[in-house]
Amino acid sequence: MSKDEIAIDVDNITKKFKIYLDKGNDLKERLLFRKRSRYEERLVLKGISFQVKKGEAIGLIGHNGCGKSTTLKLLTKIMYPDSGTIKMNGRVSSLIELGAGFHPDMSGRENIYTNASIFGLTKKEIDERLNDIISFSELEEFIDNPVRTYSSGMYMRLAFSVAINVDADILLIDEILGVGDANFQAKCFNKLKSIKASGTSIVIVSHSLGQIEQICERSIWIHEGVIKAEGSPKEIDLEYLEFMGQKLQENTQKELEKKSEIKDENQNKTEDVSENPELNQESNQESKKRWGNGKARITDIKAFDQNNKEQKVFKTGENIKIKVKYTVNQKVEDAVFGIGIFNLDGIQCYGTNTRIDKLNTFNIEKNGTVEIILDDVNLLSGEYLIDIAIESGDGIPVDYFREAYRINIISSSGDVGITRIKHNWII
Amino acid sequence: MSSLKELYDYRQMIFSLVRKDLRGRYKGSVLGFLWTFINPLLQLLVYTIVFSYILPNNIDKYYLYLFVGLIPWIFFSASVTGGSSSIVAQKDLIKKIYFPREVIPISYVTSCFVNMLLCFIVIFAVIIISGTGINPVALLCLPVIMIVEYILALGMALLTSAITVYFRDLEHILGIFTMAWMYMTPIMYEKSIVPQNLLPLFNLNPMTHVIECYRAVLYGGEIPDLASLVSSCGLGIFFLVLGSFIFGKLQKHFAEEL
Repeated sequence: MSKDEIAIDVDNITKKFKIYLDKGNDLKERLLFRKRSRYEERLVLKGISFQVKKGEAIGLIGHNGCGKSTTLKLLTKIMYPDSGTIKMNGRVSSLIELGAGFHPDMSGRENIYTNASIFGLTKKEIDERLNDIISFSELEEFIDNPVRTYSSGMYMRLAFSVAINVDADILLIDEILGVGDANFQAKCFNKLKSIKASGTSIVIVSHSLGQIEQICERSIWIHEGVIKAEGSPKEIDLEYLEFMGQKLQENTQKELEKKSEIKDENQNKTEDVSENPELNQESNQESKKRWGNGKARITDIKAFDQNNKEQKVFKTGENIKIKVKYTVNQKVEDAVFGIGIFNLDGIQCYGTNTRIDKLNTFNIEKNGTVEIILDDVNLLSGEYLIDIAIESGDGIPVDYFREAYRINIISSSGDVGITRIKHNWII
Repeated sequence: MSSLKELYDYRQMIFSLVRKDLRGRYKGSVLGFLWTFINPLLQLLVYTIVFSYILPNNIDKYYLYLFVGLIPWIFFSASVTGGSSSIVAQKDLIKKIYFPREVIPISYVTSCFVNMLLCFIVIFAVIIISGTGINPVALLCLPVIMIVEYILALGMALLTSAITVYFRDLEHILGIFTMAWMYMTPIMYEKSIVPQNLLPLFNLNPMTHVIECYRAVLYGGEIPDLASLVSSCGLGIFFLVLGSFIFGKLQKHFAEEL
C-alpha cells in the first residue's frame, strides 16, 4: 500500500476517561471537599490500530460502550488520544452532529451558510454548493422561511444535505441514517454510494448491520477497547450477532434467575405482598407476558439449525428447528401447541398451531418435548420474538408464553421488507 | 495553536458566528439594533449629568474625555469577561464537531469589536457636536490603536476562555478583577494625578497606553506618543502569544471537561 493511498492511519491509540465520582467544579467545592474529586480512570480504548484506504468504507461495530463512538470522536479530532497517533489525509466531514449551529430564527438559506461554515467551507465554496444542497434537501419552497417553522423531518433533511455536500475526502458517520422518510433515506444511501465511488473514504458507526453490509467493504468489531475481529462485513457481522445472541441468552438467563428468586421471596412472604407494591408490579409484568391455567408449563425453548446445532442467529432461507420442553401437572385434553413469530415492530410475521394445521387431536399427560421444523425461513434481517403456547381443546390457554424466545436473522442481500418472496426478473 | 492556515480556512465560520451574535444580541427588543447606538448615548448622558452637576471637575469637556476612554474600555472588559465564558457557552458545538477551537474566542472578541466600531459613530457625532476639531493626520493612527487593542483583547480572551473550562470560578473572579483593572487604568482621571510610586505599575498596564493613545487622537486631536503605542503593541503581542500557547495546550481536553 503506497502512502498516498491511505486516507486514515490509526496507530495503536489508547484513551482513558476520568470518571469523577462526585466532581466539585468550583473553588469552594474543590477546597472544602478535596476528597470528593476522586475519580476512577477507565481505559476505553486499549490500543487500536487500523488503516483505511482511499475510497474504502469501513464499519465499526460493537455493543454500547465498547469504544466505537470514542474512536470516531478521536478521528474527528474532537478529542485527542492519550497515546498513539492518528493521521488523516484530506478534508474531514462528519455526520455526527447534524445541524450544528442552526439558529431557529434564521432562514434555511442563512443556516446553510452558518452550518457549512462550521465544516470549514468558505463563502465561495458554499455558493457553489448552495443549489445542490437545496435541491437535495427538497426544501425549495421553504428555504427562505425561518428554520423554527420546519418540522423535525425537514430540519434533519436540511442538516443532512449540508453535511453530505461538503465534498470531504473522509466522511465519518455516527448512526444517523435514520433521517427522513423511506424515500429520503434511500436517496441518502445512494448519495453515500456515489460519494464513495468518487474516492471518499467512509467510516460508519452503526447498529444497523444491514447498512454496513451494503456500503462497507470491511467491518471492524471493537470489543472492550480492542479490535476483536476484522474482515468482510458478512463474516464479521455474523460472528458479532452470534456473540451478541449468546450474551443476550446469558442475560435473559440471569434475569430469569433473578425473577425466580424474587418469586421465591414473594412466596415466603405472602403476607407482606400487599405492602410491597413494587414486587406486585413486577409479577404483574411477568403475567402480562405469560398466562394460562398452569395444567402444563413450558420449561425450556431452544432453536437449532439444520446441522442440529443450537443457534440464535440464522441466515435468511435456513431451516430452523424449535424444540420446546414442557412439564405436565394435570392432564390436558385435546392439547394444541402454537407458535407465533413477531418482528420488533410487533407485527406478526407468521403464526400457526397444531389445530390450524389439522393434526390429529392428542392429550398430554406427562412431561415431554415438542418440535416444530420451519423450512426455508425467508424472514429478512432483524430480531424476531417467538411466542409459544399450549392450549386445551376448548381454547383455554394452558401456558401462553409471549416473547418466549428471540432469534436473529441475517440476510446477505440488501432486499427490504419482512420476508423474501422468491422472484425472477424477466428483462 | 492550530495553524493559521486552518484558521484562515474557517474564516467563514468566524464571520457567521459574529453575524449571528450581532443579530441575536438585541433580538426581541422593540428598538432592536438601535440599542447599539442608544446604549452609549444614554451612558454619555448619565456621565454628563453626574460630572457637570454632582461631581464637577476641572477637566475641559470631561464627558468627552471620559467617553473616548470608556468605549474602548468596555470593548476590552467585555472581551475578557464575556470571552472567558465563550467556550463553555458553546459546549454543544465543541463536544460534537471539530473546528479550530480558537474560532470561538476570536468570533466573540470580533463581535465585541464590531460593536465598538458602531459606537465610534456616536463618538464622532459627539466630537463634532462638541466643537472639538478632528485632526485628520492623528486620525490615521486610530486604526493602528484599534488593532493593538484587538490583539490585546484577543490574547486575554484566549487565555481566560481556556482556563474557565477547567476552573469555572474564573468567570466570576474576572468580574471583580476587571472592575479593579478599570480603576487602575486612567479612564476617569488623568494619569498625571497617579502617585509617583504607583507609576511603574500603571506603565506595565497595557490598557494605560491604549487609552492614552485613544485620548490623544480623539480628545486632544494630536498624534499619540510613539513610545506609548510601541509599548502597548509589544504587550499586546506578548499576551496574544501567551494566550494562544496556553489555549493550544488546554484545548485538547475541552470535549472531555465540558
